[in-house]
Amino acid sequence: MATDSNHSRFPRWLRILTIGRNPRLTLIRIAVLIGLVFLMRELVLIPIRIVGPSMMPTYQERGINFVNRLAYLRAEPQRGDVVAIRYAGEHRMLMKRILALPGETIEFRNGQVFINDKPLPEPYLAKDYPSTWTIPPQQMGPDRYYVVGDNRTMPERQHVKGAAARERIVGKVLLCKNLFAPSPSRR
Amino acid sequence: MQKLVRTLALAALIVLGIWVWRILFPSPEHVIRSLVGNVAETVSFNAKDGNISKAYKVSKLQDFFTVDVEIAVDAPGYPPHTFTGRDEITQALLAAHSRLNGLKVEFLDVNVKVGPDKQTATANLTAQANFNGERDFSIQELNFLLKKIEGKWKIYRIETVKTLSSLPSAIQANPVEA
Repeated sequence: MATDSNHSRFPRWLRILTIGRNPRLTLIRIAVLIGLVFLMRELVLIPIRIVGPSMMPTYQERGINFVNRLAYLRAEPQRGDVVAIRYAGEHRMLMKRILALPGETIEFRNGQVFINDKPLPEPYLAKDYPSTWTIPPQQMGPDRYYVVGDNRTMPERQHVKGAAARERIVGKVLLCKNLFAPSPSRR
Repeated sequence: MQKLVRTLALAALIVLGIWVWRILFPSPEHVIRSLVGNVAETVSFNAKDGNISKAYKVSKLQDFFTVDVEIAVDAPGYPPHTFTGRDEITQALLAAHSRLNGLKVEFLDVNVKVGPDKQTATANLTAQANFNGERDFSIQELNFLLKKIEGKWKIYRIETVKTLSSLPSAIQANPVEA
């Protein structure tokens, strides 16, 4: 009887729209969807929110992006890749660009990057973000990647950069631009 | 149906038993995680905290450390500094209370490794600090080195970890040499 009264209270089209023709099947679908989202989150894509100006203007602050865990399953990280580097775990990570690969020597001379004494072209850097950094040569160890942000107008001492161990690289940042990023602002 | 109910009841009983067992006999990892969480809670304060509450927190903080505790700070943008002894740490916290309107500290991703002797341990974690209720926060990876004194875990050293370093992390932070 209760079902009948429900039927009369809610139009059929509304019931179909909210819980489907077969509620049991809808429940199974929801459970499968939740399971898939959980698996995607744990094994494939980590959603991230960018905090801090070190990757500006490529990635604006407070934008949303994803880290692809599977990117380096069969291939090693490459120069120019933007990667997520974990601290003690994955609840907080650094987002940086790889400039030097294992065994290479990196140096900054008045803002220009040199890899093994050869200038590195960096087309991804914004022209209105000039750099004057000068950092002496540093050779990478066998499993070390030199990482740095794109915003090199920041004082060099305040910018977190350096050699990241391969084991700390969680994955590659998926999108070239953030989702839901606020309008660009210079800091 | 009855069989299903019995199976479910048995499973629930087993889960309950494990839960009670863990409360009564917590593992060293669990105790250290709890201690680290208490440190974060004790260090944190906000502008609304009264003087009595602040004084209580400062005195409580001493319980977590050995008398000769060391806190070695080497963070980017700041000169390296080592705080030595519980008194110096207390002074530093009192200074923070007077200078800041609020401090919220959280320790995330706490990885505990207990030494083979079960008397020493290391907790590697990510510290996040919000100052004065601002939206932005500071992040630093830390190693807490602990040892068991009279049956209680005490922190005898805290050191910053250089997340981006050319040195292997095993060399940077050799943990359980008490």
